[in-house]
Amino acid sequence: MSLIISFYPHLLAGLAVTLEMIVCAAPLGFLIGIIIAMSRAYGGPILSPLAYVYQIIFRGTPLLLQLFIIYYGLPRLGIILSPLTAAIVGFSLCSGAYHSEYLRGALLSIPTGQWEAARALGMGKLQTIKSIILPQMIRRALPGSSNEFIYLIKYSSLAYLVTVIDLTGQGRLIAYQTFRFFDVFLIVGLIYLGLVSIASHLLQSLERKFYLPSA
Amino acid sequence: MDIGEILQLIKESLPSLLKGAEVTMLLVGACLGLGFAIGFPIALSNVYGPRWLRFSLSVYDRIFRGFPALVLLFLFYFGVGSFPGVHLSPFIAVLLALGLRSGAYQSQIYRGSLLAVGKGQTDAARSLGLTKWQTIRLIVIPQAVYFSLPGLTNEYSILLKDTALAFAVGVVELLTRGKFIAFRTHAVLPIYLTVAAIYLGLTYGGVLVFWAVERYIRIPGLSGYGRRAR
Repeated sequence: MSLIISFYPHLLAGLAVTLEMIVCAAPLGFLIGIIIAMSRAYGGPILSPLAYVYQIIFRGTPLLLQLFIIYYGLPRLGIILSPLTAAIVGFSLCSGAYHSEYLRGALLSIPTGQWEAARALGMGKLQTIKSIILPQMIRRALPGSSNEFIYLIKYSSLAYLVTVIDLTGQGRLIAYQTFRFFDVFLIVGLIYLGLVSIASHLLQSLERKFYLPSA
Repeated sequence: MDIGEILQLIKESLPSLLKGAEVTMLLVGACLGLGFAIGFPIALSNVYGPRWLRFSLSVYDRIFRGFPALVLLFLFYFGVGSFPGVHLSPFIAVLLALGLRSGAYQSQIYRGSLLAVGKGQTDAARSLGLTKWQTIRLIVIPQAVYFSLPGLTNEYSILLKDTALAFAVGVVELLTRGKFIAFRTHAVLPIYLTVAAIYLGLTYGGVLVFWAVERYIRIPGLSGYGRRAR
């Protein structure tokens, strides 16, 4: 307890960094997911396989390796990112790949009749996607995507390994100052657990809000 | 560096990387095994056990599924490892952190597959005079094992990628070796991309093996039940 009282500014600073990464990467990842899912469904012979390869690569390799490539590898090509930016880019790209699978599943569950009906009513292709397909797709993907948001919170701790001093990083610093490793990491873990619980609560109410009785 | 040099470098570092891949696979196997040894009893107690047991297990579940893997790893390696009289090697710390965590996730898989065996079957078994334990052992478990395979396939690919965290406590596995070589040779991108290719091969190769097992132990007439993992 005294540990929390004497180090709460540090924990709070770490928490702020962690939250910043999550708040940036979550919507970016979801957006990338939508783009990839759409490309796979409507991308034609060039874009669709590319989106598939994207999914395979980002879902088949460890996130930590992706972060290393972005943070240590890209500078060799002249692209230099700050640790925080590299982490946010890595998280967005990776969680985008996972989101896209949930979104694609949702997309496939929309009956083709709706597509035909919208076209028959004189809607253009883009208009159909925008006002008929997309709203339903996002609603149906929410349960799966919620999981992905939760994972993002937990995996944001990997940012510490590319030198971002987030909540985990602050925990590590405090632990080395106090030598109370077990207590510190337990507290840090419980903070993450709190974040996860709050997020899953919020996402559940979001799901309820967007729930369609007919769907 | 031109292409020829890079290819030569990759060729030279491949044996070392593959040795790291061996350690990675050893970790994955050990964690899956530990996860099964913990997850299956938890699932059984969750479905058939008394209420007080279920409650205490839910605390375990909360902690191991709610903490980030990296924090769990630090909790074991630095935290538990600093207790008087306890010495954890990096490998054992990773095994404990990821294995116990996998146990919590695997228990959810087995719980689902135990419940997927219909109540009609257990009722029928009981009415034929089988005891509760016999019913579980002879009727429910054999089918549940089959139902759990798609979930286990997923768990394998998740664990494989999570073992990369072992780098953080200094286990010399695939990613650690990749990082050593990348920084020694300054060919950061080519080496990391080779490492990525090995991970890809292990992920999808392993998934194919799991699918083969699934086909091999398929129960005729029940095949429609098993949900294929993505």
